[in-house]
Amino acid sequence: MRGLRYAFLLTATAIMPLAGQRPISVTGIQSLTFGTLLPGMPTVVSRTDPVKSGRFDLGGPHDTQGQVSFSLPSVLTGPAGATLPLFFSGSDAGYSQSQNIGSQIGFDPKQPFLVTFSGQGRGSVYLGGTAQPAPTQRAGSYSGTITLNLTAFP
Amino acid sequence: MYTASKAALATLVLALVAGTTVRAQGVNGSITATASVQSPIAVAGVQNLAFGNVFPGVAKTVAYSDATNAGRFDVTGQASTPVTYSFTLPANLTTGGNNLPIGSWTGYVNGANSTSGGAAITPSSTPAGSTLSAGGTLYFFVGATVTPPVNLPAGSYTGTVTLTVSY
Repeated sequence: MRGLRYAFLLTATAIMPLAGQRPISVTGIQSLTFGTLLPGMPTVVSRTDPVKSGRFDLGGPHDTQGQVSFSLPSVLTGPAGATLPLFFSGSDAGYSQSQNIGSQIGFDPKQPFLVTFSGQGRGSVYLGGTAQPAPTQRAGSYSGTITLNLTAFP
Repeated sequence: MYTASKAALATLVLALVAGTTVRAQGVNGSITATASVQSPIAVAGVQNLAFGNVFPGVAKTVAYSDATNAGRFDVTGQASTPVTYSFTLPANLTTGGNNLPIGSWTGYVNGANSTSGGAAITPSSTPAGSTLSAGGTLYFFVGATVTPPVNLPAGSYTGTVTLTVSY
């Protein structure tokens, strides 16, 4: 009977931290905005651009790690189905544990990346990229969806 | 005691299974990527630079303001947007290996189809700047002078003038 009580005590100890942990979350904060493009002229947005870069805020158990990955479009879609090529280089994404755009660790948005949540259980991911309109690119507004997937390991 | 140990072991196994289940937490969030593309530039050679009949030893000039004989290019693009332009100009008009020298190029650029209200230019290969009108148009007018040598063989002489415009 004493062994049974001991087992329940161990079980409770193992489960309690999990039950008390902050749930993980991803919030899209700011769109990746290329602005006005001229046909034939590529436009680059840096992940450190405070106005144009995309931003996601992450939440999770403090001081734990999670893995982020992106679902990235290869084109933006515009008028009558016209497409605008979109490219991401190997350092177009950045992670900031302090949620400071000026303090990022760059990473390849096409590869999974391991992040560590801050002591407050937060972090931010910033994203830049390159839009490359063709010389005969149809005029108009183009858009696409970028999704960040977060998997946490308590 | 034996029963209690088995129960404890079973409970621990359950706890480990439960712990394993909560490890794989996955969530996602999305943002939008946006861009606005302006109108592409189109350049059309609308009117040839025509000198008509010329005579050996007698130079002839066509002014850019000559509505009938001056060369004209019409450009369309994004309204009120700066552009850079340059010309590729021949040094001679040619026929069958014979050359008719051409030079002293003159020009005019205007947002409207008129040789007033715009600006005089000197056509050359050196890039220069202008701005598309509020209607997205730009007109270039070109004139030049041919200098036929006294021994120039008779014939029909031609050359190509190219205007390149970019944002």
